[in-house]
Amino acid sequence: MFKINDKTQWDDGSGQVIDELKARFGDHPVHFQRDDLARVQIPQKDLLPVLSWLRGDTPFVQLTHMTAIDWMEEGEFELVYLVTAPTLLTSLMICIRVDREKAQAETVFNLWLHAETYEQEINEMFGIDFPGSPRQGVPFILEAWKDIPPMRRDFDTVEYCARTHPERPGREHQDTRKYVGRKFGEKGFLK
Amino acid sequence: MSIFDYSSHEGFDVMHDGGVDRTRAIPNAGTEVDSREVQLWFGPQHPGITGNMSVQVWLKGDTIQRGITHVGYLHRGFEKLMERRKFIQSFPIVCRMCVAETDTTEYLLASSLEELSGLDQDVPEKAKWIRTLVMEMSRLQVMLMVLGGQVGTMGLGTAPNWTYTLRDFLLDSFEELTGGRVYHMYITYGGVRRDLPLGFGQRLEKTLEVIEERLPYLDDLILNSAVFQKRAKGVGVVPSEWADELGITGPPLRAMGVASDIRRDYPYLKYPELDFKVITAEGSDIYARTEVRRHEISESISIIRQCLQMMPHEGKFCAKLPNMMTWTIPAGMTYTRAESSRGEMGFMMVTDGSDKIRRVHLRGPSYTNAITVLERMLPGTNIADLSALMVSLQTCPPEIER
Repeated sequence: MFKINDKTQWDDGSGQVIDELKARFGDHPVHFQRDDLARVQIPQKDLLPVLSWLRGDTPFVQLTHMTAIDWMEEGEFELVYLVTAPTLLTSLMICIRVDREKAQAETVFNLWLHAETYEQEINEMFGIDFPGSPRQGVPFILEAWKDIPPMRRDFDTVEYCARTHPERPGREHQDTRKYVGRKFGEKGFLK
Repeated sequence: MSIFDYSSHEGFDVMHDGGVDRTRAIPNAGTEVDSREVQLWFGPQHPGITGNMSVQVWLKGDTIQRGITHVGYLHRGFEKLMERRKFIQSFPIVCRMCVAETDTTEYLLASSLEELSGLDQDVPEKAKWIRTLVMEMSRLQVMLMVLGGQVGTMGLGTAPNWTYTLRDFLLDSFEELTGGRVYHMYITYGGVRRDLPLGFGQRLEKTLEVIEERLPYLDDLILNSAVFQKRAKGVGVVPSEWADELGITGPPLRAMGVASDIRRDYPYLKYPELDFKVITAEGSDIYARTEVRRHEISESISIIRQCLQMMPHEGKFCAKLPNMMTWTIPAGMTYTRAESSRGEMGFMMVTDGSDKIRRVHLRGPSYTNAITVLERMLPGTNIADLSALMVSLQTCPPEIER
């Protein structure tokens, strides 16, 4: 769904990494968002080879960020790994799509230790499994959560609140417009 | 049934009798039975804890054997809420993501959506200067708070009283400028919400003079204090090889001697036009991190002065905005970053062409510092140093849980 741009404004160092990535792992779509940020969409099977190569053989040695996006309409999750090259001052967003019904991806904990927390949160909030990641199934923020993972798009926040936090017995629900009208008459409203 | 009858809550057992085996999170925890070990919950209600979090530690004598960070006391579901609101309605939410430093998240929200909508081209020069000024004021007030808080954890009470007072003077300036002392909601799409009040620069300059006058005394109370040196030098050393493995940024990274600063490395706003040094220190211990913060206070004061001098007095402070009730942004994905007082803070922003955010995720430095880094530093640490260690890493739970 995103526009694919031509490579522009990237210096030789980062550009070379992109070229080599394409040569090694196939001509995957690259979107150059800014001078210091590009996005590469790769198949799920290439995730670990690509990230291992970036971590070991290129200046992209830092995992700055990791998150998931729920594309419910397309039946997929997108996992985004933001890797940064401190010497080149550029970042790459490595994106993979994961089947929503079989929500599972490989862990990158062995490449970056702090990925364990990102994977723990994504596991809890989206229900995506990372087999082998040390904190899978360990509660991060939620406790005793019995519902579907709350960051999924089909989780109904309003319905959950109504069910979990019922109104105090005897409390009269006040519709603001009716209440103000009853209390102050029509003059209560600014025309 | 009484609404206060919590025993009927279906999650009660799991919540309170340890039905959830959290100890699986750390290697070997719970498997070794040692009668000399004491398990202690440090927080969430403890004056030494840095906010609404707790650290579960296993002790032998005074020495921590291992520990685990627990968050979850302050989750407000901000990212989910933002998916259900119009773009303009997210400002009162994002400023609460990090309670102490609200302007960074406001800027990140504004800049990421401006970039995806193309509005970034229209942001007026004056607005960029005001944003830089506000961001630096925000960094300064947090660094003052942390500088005092650092020695406060070691029982030295004078310095925190002074630095909190100085911070309060800055909050006065924020109140004058934005109407709020803590939550400002001042930076908005296309610029800022209002212009600087008449004479604001002169009044801010007086505050800066008061802060500057106190700094040598603070040096004597903190960096030159024999007590602080004894407690901080060589304590809480973060190994330099963790920088890449654990994604460390900000003062903990600069205290390793690495001159890394988002303001210089990924220039944004008016920072490229300003003259400032990236402060580094050697030792990577609590003392080095405090030293970095102390000297960054001087740099921040210099940056604020430069902003006040170089800022145009005339001109618009906000671009012409579309109707916020019907504003839609084309599909896109970006990551924007800014240097907060703690390190790199970033927003992963995704839009889908509608009038709402599709997905937003905050990258905060505490996410790594309070969990992965802290837990790996705990074994061998004296229990009395735990609080000082947490403050030196500037762990901030609201930013972890959002």
